[in-house]
Amino acid sequence: MSEVVLSIADLEKMYVGGVHAVRGVSFDVNQGESVAIIGSSGSGKSTVLRCINRLIEPTAGVVKLGGEQINTPYADVNDIRSRIGMVFQSFELFAHLRVLENITLGLRKVRGMSVEDANEIAHQVLGRVDMLDRIHAYPGNLSGGQMQRVAIARALAMKPEVILFDEPTSALDPELIGSVLQTIRGLADEGMTMVIVTHEINFARDVADRIIYMDEGLVVEEGPSSIIQNPKTERMQKFLSSINEEH
Amino acid sequence: MNKRTNRIFSWSEVPTSSRMIIISSAIIFIFLTPILGEGYESSWSIADSGIESDLLTATADSDGIVWVFGEGGIILNSPDMQTWESSESPTTSDLWTSDSNDNIVVAAGSAGTVVLKSAESNTWTSYTTPTATDLLGVAITGEGVVVAVGENGAIWILENGNWLDRTFGLSIDFNDVDFEGERGLIAADEGRIFGSEDGGLNWEERNTPEGLTDSTIISIDYYLANRGYAITSEGQILKSTQEGLTTAVGYNWLLVEIESEDRNTTLQRQISSMEVLGTTKFIVAGPSGYVALSKDGGNIINPQLLPVPNDFSINDIAMRDAFQGVIIGEEGTILWTENAGEDLAVGFEIIDLSQFNEFVDFSKDNLWQGLKATVKIVGFGILLGFFIGVTLAMCKTAPTTLKQIIEGNLGRALYFFWVFIPVYSIGGKVLGNLSSGLFFALIITLISWLVSRKYDNRVIAEAFAENRQSSGYQIPEKYRINLIRTLGVSILVGLPFSEFAMRGGIVKFWQSISDFRSLDLTGIEYIFAPVGDPDAFFNFLLGIALIYLGILFITFKGQFKKHEFSYGFKLNPWGIRPLASIATLYTDFFRNTPLIVQFMFVHFGLQIGKHIQGAGTDLFTELYLLSGGADLFIEYGLYAADAPTIISKTHEFIFSDRAFLSAIFALGLNSGAYQCETIRGAIAAIPSGQMEAGRSIGLTYMGTMNQVVLPQAIRICIPPLGNEMVNLVLNSSLAMVIAYTELTRQGKLIIAITFQIFWTWGMVMVSYFVVTWTLALILRWLEDKTRIPGLGISGGA
Ligand SMILES: Nc1ncnc2c1ncn2[C@@H]1O[C@H](COP(=O)(O)OP(=O)(O)OP(=O)(O)O)[C@@H](O)[C@H]1O
Ligand SMILES: [Mg+2]
Repeated sequence: MSEVVLSIADLEKMYVGGVHAVRGVSFDVNQGESVAIIGSSGSGKSTVLRCINRLIEPTAGVVKLGGEQINTPYADVNDIRSRIGMVFQSFELFAHLRVLENITLGLRKVRGMSVEDANEIAHQVLGRVDMLDRIHAYPGNLSGGQMQRVAIARALAMKPEVILFDEPTSALDPELIGSVLQTIRGLADEGMTMVIVTHEINFARDVADRIIYMDEGLVVEEGPSSIIQNPKTERMQKFLSSINEEH
Repeated sequence: MNKRTNRIFSWSEVPTSSRMIIISSAIIFIFLTPILGEGYESSWSIADSGIESDLLTATADSDGIVWVFGEGGIILNSPDMQTWESSESPTTSDLWTSDSNDNIVVAAGSAGTVVLKSAESNTWTSYTTPTATDLLGVAITGEGVVVAVGENGAIWILENGNWLDRTFGLSIDFNDVDFEGERGLIAADEGRIFGSEDGGLNWEERNTPEGLTDSTIISIDYYLANRGYAITSEGQILKSTQEGLTTAVGYNWLLVEIESEDRNTTLQRQISSMEVLGTTKFIVAGPSGYVALSKDGGNIINPQLLPVPNDFSINDIAMRDAFQGVIIGEEGTILWTENAGEDLAVGFEIIDLSQFNEFVDFSKDNLWQGLKATVKIVGFGILLGFFIGVTLAMCKTAPTTLKQIIEGNLGRALYFFWVFIPVYSIGGKVLGNLSSGLFFALIITLISWLVSRKYDNRVIAEAFAENRQSSGYQIPEKYRINLIRTLGVSILVGLPFSEFAMRGGIVKFWQSISDFRSLDLTGIEYIFAPVGDPDAFFNFLLGIALIYLGILFITFKGQFKKHEFSYGFKLNPWGIRPLASIATLYTDFFRNTPLIVQFMFVHFGLQIGKHIQGAGTDLFTELYLLSGGADLFIEYGLYAADAPTIISKTHEFIFSDRAFLSAIFALGLNSGAYQCETIRGAIAAIPSGQMEAGRSIGLTYMGTMNQVVLPQAIRICIPPLGNEMVNLVLNSSLAMVIAYTELTRQGKLIIAITFQIFWTWGMVMVSYFVVTWTLALILRWLEDKTRIPGLGISGGA
């Protein structure tokens, strides 16, 4: 059952200014697995995610989706992105479109679906994130948690092979975080393949099948969620304790 | 909660077709509304002739009495053109030609009949020529001698009651004769004219233009001794003037060019009679109720209104003087005029321009015309400017480095060079001519496009249904690199295919340099070289670009990467942004030159108006021909019979005025440069995350731009764009320098007539304010209508 969906090998990213944000990261994500990436600020987590769906171009390394290398100049970048869902820290809903249209836009313009078919799928996914009651609202009239759930639904609608979450709860008030985490947990239970960058250590421990700890552009520790209880490296111990202090 | 969702009217829910109808009817309403307050009335009135038979010819004697002759020898006369009485006639033959001189009146007609009334008597005497053949023209010489001409070249002179036969043996028909003193002219078939200098005794042929041999000259007239006119039944007009002091009028005849779209020399109407009223003024008339007046010797011929049905047959015109005269025709009809038959403009009264209300009444039509003209160029200018602005803004904001452009279009470029062009030239060779080669290449392109589309769609749809990846065909890497390198060589040195010979960058560059050299400028003068030889300048830029690209392709190593040099510095040749550079050049140029100069350059220099008018006229001529009975027009609810009028109306509306076209372009091009910066600012204000979000669901860059970024950016920039549009309205007043009659120029015209400076400019100001203020209100309304909750801070707490 452990078919590799996403495979990253020796990924490096050097930004134009000379910042070496990622210095050779490798990991695989299996079908139905949820992987959490944790690490301190500036350790290159977002950079890794963005390299995966080529919002930024990696300087070196190989990214494979379903066994096919996707970071070549000749791969169809739009097709690749439509197969990888992405959920942003700041939601990034299309502000001028209502909730329903936010979700159907990709289905209509990328998948070429009719409005009726797209609406049907939109209703399904909005049901999954429990947002059916605000289907005609503009994003500006939603709460943060609601917006993030709509953003998750937007990613789900495209039936992605993997969804990438970049700190989906960091911009939310504490009381709104719960509903979003609940939704992601639901997806994990359904067997969605996911890569989640998060600062919610407890959530990572409960939901993720595997934890990747990154620091200074490198994977420092990797293993089942139990590594959070007893980290092997000093750096991860420090990181975890600094987080616990905050709480 | 959200009350906005239940709008009574929502533009976005109106179907596209209805939107088009609403917009186009608004445009038609604004632009095609008839001009108010003007009308024309016929200056001809119907007189009571008291008889029913056809009237055939008329003449006025020197006392101002008008004589009319007709069927069965009828003779009528009237001193005032309104009340008519009949005279006792000595004949029952039809009389169809007449003349008078010094109160001698003569008429002639069928079977050689001539009737004559001398100056002293009031009775008519009848004479018949010995051969009794039909007479077609009659005239009186300065000596009071009657000369009659007719069928088969007959020329008869009636002197003291005796007939003198001066026929000289030509067997064509002579249709008309006229005398000025002893000089006479005869209008004949086959486009020939004969003249006499001795009162009609001897005749010789005069010079008429070539190519008239199929025309029948049916009427000829002197105007005093200094102008002669003749007409043919096909509607041509001939003119003879005195040339120097030696050649008298009537020797050399020229065709008059009649002002019309295709510079015709024919009226394209049948005409049968003419009356000359002055050296350059004459009236012509024809069978189907056609009366037209020319005041400039025939260049412009204005048909006039008549108070009779269109199929009314006019037989002759006779004028007492330059203004008063009659038209006669079938069934005893007589029309008379005191205005030379010129249509009367109604609604123009003599007004006192020192009264403000009368001044307003006088000038409002002009202002209204000016306002409409202004709105017309402003409307089109805004559209053009917006289009240019959005395009440029996208060029400037797009990640259009050379790398991205080439990466994205590499497949297409390779296809073009390695499939399309070879198929084109080889196919052309095999099939014998190039156009079939092109056809062949296009067919192959179409097929491969359809196949790949179908394949792609199926693959994507299947992959989506089964939730698995799709895959496409790719050229293997090593071939790809070689293809690209060869492409580089051909861009650099050109294409060898003999039929598809294309000059490469080096050749173009070299050519342009030598072109510049041949301009023979020195030093700093070379900054004007682009003006001196625009083609060479274009080739110069293109040459540089092609050389750059060629070198880049030749050194291609499979990756679009920076070149690293051993000295430690890096160069990123793929990082230049050609589209952005072009857009910047454009905006810089238009924002750093005065608008008034741009107006003059566009109109007088580039002559954009003239070129567009030419192209548009060609296009509409095609359409016009097509629309003759085309089903297409019926299908779209237009009667085929209506279609030509609609087409020619549209054509007239858009293409009739060169200054109008030039003004739109000058305004649009200029405004585009400014709108570009505004829109660019708004695009930059949209968080970059929106672009990332759009791209992360698989939309292309342009797709995200159109679906996500622009809809938000345009909403943001409505207020500054509104400013820009108001500016455009105000700038439109500069269109007066290219003689476009918009509001300001109308103001100048009004002042030229009325000398009311304060009132005129005041009213012009108010008119401008009304336009700009309405525009501002519309934009405010639009801003409100399109406001999205949560987008931008506007009108909030
Ligand atoms: N566009 C950019 N240009 C230059 N440097 C960048 C850019 N984006 C990020 N960096 C740098 O790269 C490093 C990694 O950034 P990244 O955003 O991947 O960190 P992160 O792990 O996601 O941090 P956080 O938890 O704060 O989101 C940082 O030092 C950052 O300053
Ligand atoms: Mg981050």
